[in-house]
Parts: sequence; structure tokens; C-alpha cells
Amino acid sequence: MRRDEIPPGTLHLLILKTLARRGELHGYEIARTIQQNSEDVLQVEEGSLYPALQRMLVKGWVKAYWGTTAENRRARFYRLTTAGRKQLQVEESQFERVMSAITRVIQTA
Amino acid sequence: MKLLGELGRRVTMLLRRRKFDQEMDEEMRIHLELRERERREAGLPADQAYTAARKNFGNALALREASHDSWGWSWLEHLIQDLRFALRMLRKNPGFTATAVLTLALGIGANTAIFSIIDAVFLRPLPYPNAQQMYLVARTGNAYGGESISPAIFAAWRKQQSSVFEHLALFGFMDDSTLMVSGEPVRIPSAGISWDFLAMTGIHPILGRDFRPEEGQIGGPNVVMLSDRLWRERFGADLNVVGQNLTLNSKSYTVVGVLPRGFTDPTFSPPYSQLWLPLQIPAASNNPGNGGLLCLGTLKHGVSATQAEEALTPSLSELRREFPKMFMSNERAHLVPLREMLNEWAGTAVLLLFGAVGLVLLIACVNVANLSLARSATRQREMAVRSAIGASHSRIVRQLLTESVVLAVLGGLLGVAVCYASFRFVVTLVPANVPHVGTFGIDARVLFFAFALSIATGVAFGLIPALGASRVDLTGSLKESTTQAGARGAGRLRGILAAGEIAISLVLLVGAALTLESFARLTVVQPGFDSRNVLTFRISLPSEKYDTQAKRTLFFDQAIHHLAAISGVEQAAIVSILPLAGEGDILFSIEGERSAAPSGEPLAANFRIISPDYFRALRIPLMRGRELTPADNASSAPVVVIDQTMARKFWPGQDPIGQRVWIGKAMGPSMSEPAPREIVGIVADIRESALTDAPGQTMFIPYAQTKWNDSESFVLRERAAPLMSVPAVRDALHQVDPTEPLTEIETMNQVVSGSLKDWRFHATMLGIFGALALFIAAIGVYGVISYSIAQRTHEIGIRVALGAQRVDVLRLVISQGARLALAGIAVGVLAAIGLTRLMASLLYGVAPTDPLTFVGVAILLAIVALLACYIPARRAMRVDPMTALRHE
Repeated sequence: MRRDEIPPGTLHLLILKTLARRGELHGYEIARTIQQNSEDVLQVEEGSLYPALQRMLVKGWVKAYWGTTAENRRARFYRLTTAGRKQLQVEESQFERVMSAITRVIQTA
Repeated sequence: MKLLGELGRRVTMLLRRRKFDQEMDEEMRIHLELRERERREAGLPADQAYTAARKNFGNALALREASHDSWGWSWLEHLIQDLRFALRMLRKNPGFTATAVLTLALGIGANTAIFSIIDAVFLRPLPYPNAQQMYLVARTGNAYGGESISPAIFAAWRKQQSSVFEHLALFGFMDDSTLMVSGEPVRIPSAGISWDFLAMTGIHPILGRDFRPEEGQIGGPNVVMLSDRLWRERFGADLNVVGQNLTLNSKSYTVVGVLPRGFTDPTFSPPYSQLWLPLQIPAASNNPGNGGLLCLGTLKHGVSATQAEEALTPSLSELRREFPKMFMSNERAHLVPLREMLNEWAGTAVLLLFGAVGLVLLIACVNVANLSLARSATRQREMAVRSAIGASHSRIVRQLLTESVVLAVLGGLLGVAVCYASFRFVVTLVPANVPHVGTFGIDARVLFFAFALSIATGVAFGLIPALGASRVDLTGSLKESTTQAGARGAGRLRGILAAGEIAISLVLLVGAALTLESFARLTVVQPGFDSRNVLTFRISLPSEKYDTQAKRTLFFDQAIHHLAAISGVEQAAIVSILPLAGEGDILFSIEGERSAAPSGEPLAANFRIISPDYFRALRIPLMRGRELTPADNASSAPVVVIDQTMARKFWPGQDPIGQRVWIGKAMGPSMSEPAPREIVGIVADIRESALTDAPGQTMFIPYAQTKWNDSESFVLRERAAPLMSVPAVRDALHQVDPTEPLTEIETMNQVVSGSLKDWRFHATMLGIFGALALFIAAIGVYGVISYSIAQRTHEIGIRVALGAQRVDVLRLVISQGARLALAGIAVGVLAAIGLTRLMASLLYGVAPTDPLTFVGVAILLAIVALLACYIPARRAMRVDPMTALRHE
């Protein structure tokens, strides 16, 4: 089953949206959620997920803390900050803009 | 605010690296387990799930690194890593490290020393706040040095001042003042300034006030300002000194102000004035002669220098109409920015030294680059491994550059330390007339320069080996245990570099040899007099106490009489300016004919006031006529003695004896003598101004017959050990006048060699640099040859096994060294021929392309290069074929 790559520049958007919808998740859960919600089309590589999460930590869009999973295992959970929510709005509108522009170009063929 | 938060987070991360790594690992672990479980649930058996999960996960270490990189500190951590590694590598190779650091220390240290001089002379801002706007106002077209302005000219210019100048002021050195301190007379260097001079410079007194306009007029009150140093040394930094009276030159002066530290004369060279008096300038002057004063000014806003020149030039034409003999027909006012003027006075010689020392550093860099190249050839394996692990091209280059910069900084530290230690010695060599010579020092600016130079040096010599080393053939280097692959190409490069070192050394050595030769020739120039066993010192009679010509004449009569009576003194005489100790010339006219040469230039000659025994004291032979005698005094006919050059030049084919000259006639009434003088004798030429100038053209008049006899140098010919007689001399003079101090006590030999101080400085400095260059280049050649021989041990072993004799091996080594040396010498000779042209003005008696010098230096270099091959050659000759063949 070949999964498509995540288009560059959209990883942050996906992560932010997922956290906005689901509250607090740890790394694996974020990847799984994206995969599921996209009906297995998008696959997040760990190699890009964790660096992206770190970048978002630097910028202050997410906050991380250690907690326990349902199975009582220690894991690091991430949640959105207020700045993160604002960033989500920015990225969403930007994405919409770009997408409709591309759609227009393709459709007028 | 956002950025501040971000910055805070980044910094926190930096401090908690280890915790980050641990947490990252733990996070990865969980993720991995969950992936594994996912696979198992999808139906894979346990072990396959394990591997699949891990394969999917990727390289954990790389992941952790990538995550960490997001925080942006990787550059710093890499740098610290590189530094640690560099230091470790340097410690493991003490031989290389020591050689490289030493070589670099020599180069950087020498450059730092010279830079401190350059900085003080050319670069440091002048201590006047308005220095940028200050101009020296001079005249062009005048044969006597247009910088010298007289009060008459200044008065004329002052009338134009308001239209173009913000300030126009005068400055002039005065004779040392005699200050009475606790009853003892002390001579203090003094200067006169017009009342608005300080305002022009932007400096304000730290105590008291500036001069007022009325103090700058003739007959104004006697006021004086003290320098900071004088205030501290002689007045105990007394805050109430303003308003106190002092006795200067037997008159009472009131202190009106104290000047800030660092304020000095606009020439910025010794003797630094400590007392400042207002110049009393008449509103108009009938003395248009060269006044020896400097005129400085700042322009009004928006006025250009050319406009100012246009405004001032008409005054010169007017003055010429009034005093035609004193001014040339096309004199113009000329403004030069003060900074430029100072740079000119400092001379290009200092810049030459900077060039020379830069070459030394260049050789040092090439040397260390060579050594680095050799080492990098042995490190190819290491580079290959780094590459294989995943280091990028730029990372490897960065690491190698870090190593070379560390090396250079170490060298720089050592160099600065040596500089510090030897600084006092270096400063004693610098000629005193270089501006700011009292302020040379290793300060923050110089240290910064040394640091920047070290970094630049490190990058310069490290770049080539770094770029070469990072381009590595992976499989080839990992397979081979020898370094044959890169060696050949690198070997040629190293050979070229070594030949380059020799070329640069040759240029430097030729320059040094030429300068040394010039100096040597100068020391044997015959000055025309005998300077052995002659004591000299100076006495300046203060005009207040010795206000008539008769009083002064009496003083010198008695002084000479008492001095001649000292046992051990053969002759005692006086002269206004010692030979080779200064300039003093004057215009004259020849009675009955002309006052100008056919070319229109006024007649001029050196002018000396002497006592009758002067010629005998210095053993200057009389050629015709008679010498001056005590009978030539104020009541007898005025006489003069000239020298052979004057006789030849101004009375060609005639006998000058009996002719009359009128001294100073063309210079206006106050400079002119009252009557013409008769020539009574002709003496042999002596060198008056400098050993490099042509001798002669001097007139000598008796001190008893002139009013200008206030400041004279005594010349005592003794049987032996002139300096031992100083106490007896003081006693003798005490009997005449106990309040007159003796100054400038030195032997005539010291005066003569003092006139060569500049030449000695350049010869010494260039000699040292040349020797350094030679030393470093020799090490370079040695390094290249010995390394190449080590590479070829295998080959030599084979040759010996096939029957080569020791002599053949020797020839092999020597021929390689000779080829290097010859190439370097050839290129060096070509370069030197082109470059020594630039120093022609600093040479004496030897052409910049003197063939003997070139040949001599070439031979010296060849010998040194061959000697440098000696040790590797011996090693090569001792190669045992068996071990060599086994060696790889």
C-alpha cells in the first residue's frame, strides 16, 4: 500500500490541526491520527515529525510535557498554545488561498 | 516579545543538552514500541515486526540530531567540538605544533610591533577635537620651505580671515624658558600660540581660562599656561595654581590656565612643550622674513580649501611688492590638511617597514601552509572515515580551518608576548622626529589588530590544505595504507610553495642588504672635521639678563677663557649650530654686483657664528687668507670667513679675499646686518646639514661682531675622554655665571652618529626582518626536502639495492633542493629588480639594482638552501635497502 508523501510546507498545518481537534497527543498518536484522518493517504515519517515538533516548540506554538499513556507508559504529550492557535488560523487561510488558486488554474484547462 | 520568548527557550535548551538527549531517546523508544505493536497487530510475527518497525523508523541517532538541529545551536556545538579536537590533534603532534606556532609567532609578532608604530603615527585620531578640520596654511613657490610663516604674513592674512576662516592661528616653538624652581634654574621646552589657538583646536583648559586677545598684543600682560605634566611634576597638581606668579626668564608671569593631558604641539614630536605663552603679534610687521612660525586654521562652513587659498594669495603679492627680495614671483597660499602634513613628515620609510614585515608574515604563512599540507597527506584516512560517517564537505573544511585558526591564534599570543617584552628595545631604535614617538605602545587597538591578523593568517594558510583534504577519494584512501595517491600532486604544490618562500626572502634580503650597505657607506663619509675627543654642550643666554650685545660677548669671552684653562682641554670654541646638528641659512648680497644668481634665485648660504678657535678645535684646515682672531671684535672692521664651495660658486675664477658681502640685506631691515663684511679667509668644506648632502657653502662670522650671539654650542677639543671633564666644565662656567644651565651635553662623535639615526633604524629593522625571512625560508626548504625524502625511502632503497652509491643518493637529494632554490632565486631576482626601485630614495651610494648585492644575496640563499638539505641528505644516505624495501 503506497502512501503519498506529505506535501512540503503542510506538515505544521496538519500537526496543528490535529492537536486543535484532539487536544493532547504524543508523537506516535499524532502520526497515527493524521494517517487515519487522511484515510491512509498521508504518512508522516518520524524523520520529519520530530524535527517539526521541535521547531514548533522553539517557536512556542506547542507545549510539551511528560505524562502517562492509557497503558501507564511514560510519553511526551504535546498541546497547542494560544500562539499555536493563532498560527493555525494563519496557516489554514494561507493553505486555502493557495489551494483555490491551484484549483482555478487546473480547472481552466 | 515573541522573539524574546523564543530566544529564552533557545538558551534554556543550550544549557540542558543532556536532558534533551535523554528525553528524546525515551520519546523515540515509546514510538518505536508502538510501531512494533502496530505491525504485530497487522499480523507480522514478533521478530519481523521488530525489524520492520525499526527499518521504518530510520536512524535514531540521525533523528535525534535532526531534532536537535531545529533549535539552531548546532553551529556552536560543532565549533566547540572542533576546538576540542583541534587542541587534541595539536597536542599529539608536538613537533609540528611547535614549529608552526614559532614560525607564526615570528610573523605575527613582527607585524604587531610595526603596526603599533603605524597606528600611532598614521591611524590614531589626533588629540585635537577639531583635528579633522584643521589645515596647515603654507606657501608654495618659495624655496625656503613654505611652511614657515612670519608675523607679517600672518598679519596680512588675518585681514582676510573673516571671509573664509573660522579660526586662523599661529604656533611657534620658542627657546626653552628658564623657570626658577626652588631657587634652581630649570629649562622647560616652551611654545608660543596666538590667543585663539586653543579655540581652534577645540581643546579647553582643565583649570583657569584661555588666553585673551589683549594678551596677544605687544606690551600685553605676562601670562602663561602650564601643561598637565608640568602641573603635576613641578606644581604638585595644586588646584589653586591659577593666579600664581612664576619667574620665567627672570620676569614674573601669571599662570592663567592648565591644559589637559595629551595636549601637545601640532608637530607631535619631541621636545614636547610644557609651557605655553601667548604670541605677541604686531598688527602690522616690518619683518617679513621667515618667521619660523606655523599657521593653522579651520575653514568656515561650506568654504573649500581652494577658496581659502584664493583669498589669501593676493596678500602675498602685496608683500612682494614691498619686500621684493623676500618673496618669489609666483608664491601662492596653500592649505594642507593637518593629518596629511603629519603623514608627510613621518615619511614613507615607516610604510616601507610595514611592507617588509608583511612579507615576513607571508613567508611564515607559506611555511605553515606547507607543513599543514604535509600533515594533511597523512590524515587522508581520517578524512575518508569522516566522510563515510556522514560529514559534509563544508563540515570537514570547517573543522580543518578551526585547527589552523587555533594554531594561528596560539602563534599570535606568543608573538604578542614577545612583542611586549622587546618593545622597549624597538622604541629606542625609532628616530625621534617620527611624530607621536612618545605614545607608541601595545594598546587595545594593537591587540585587536594582532587578533584579527591571527585569524586571517589561520584562514589564509589553512584554506588550501583544507580544501584539498576534503576532496577525498573514499575507497582509494580507505584501501591504501600509504599516501601515495595524493602525495604526488601535493608534493609539487609544496615544492612551489617552498620556492615561493625563497623568492620572497630574496626580495627582503636584497632590500636589507641595500639598506645596510647605504648605512655602512654613510658611516665612513668624511665629514670634513675631526670629531674625536670633542665635547659639546649648549648654553642659551636669556634675553632679559643679557640684553645687550656687549653683555653676551663678555659672557662668551669669559666662558671660553675659563674653559681653555681646564687641564686636558686643548681648544675651547663656540659655534651657533654644530655641524650635522641643524640647519641655519641666510640670504646675502655680494657688494658691488649682484644679489641674485643669474637664474633669479637669491644668493643663500649656511650661516654660523663662531669663536676664533673653532676651526682649530675641529681641525678644519685653512686654505687661504687668515682665520678669525680675538682682534675681530665689535670695534674693528666686520669680517667673514667662507669655505671653498662658496668661493668656487660665487667667485669663479676670482679671488674672493677682500670682496664684501652683505648678509641679510635682502631680508628687510630687522634681519639685515648693519654693514657689509670683508672676506678674510677661506677654509675647507665641511658637511653642515647632513652626511648625505653635499658639503660646504657656509659663512662664518665672529660672535663678538653680531647681536645674534645668544645661543651657542661649545666645542671643546680634549686630549682624551671628553665626558670625564664635564664636572670641571661646570665649575669653570659657574665662575662666569652660576645660573646658566648646560644642555645637550654629548660628544661630537655622538652628534655625528646621531645624525644617522634614521638610517641606522632602517638598516637594523630590515636586517632583522631579512634574517627572520631567511631563517623561516630555510626551515621551509628543510621541511619540503626531508618530507619528500621520507616519501621516497622506498625508491631510494631500490636504487641502493641496484647499486647506487652514497654519492648518487646525495646527488639526488641535492639536485632536488637545488632545483627548488634556483627556481625561487630566479623568481626572487626578477621581483626584486622591480620592487627595489620603490626604495631608491632611502638608499645612499648604492643603486637599487646594484648587481653585486643581488649576486651576493643569491649566493647566500643558495648556500642556506643547500645547507637545509644537508640533514635530509644524510638521512637519505644512511638508508638501509632492506628496511627501505620493507617500508611502505
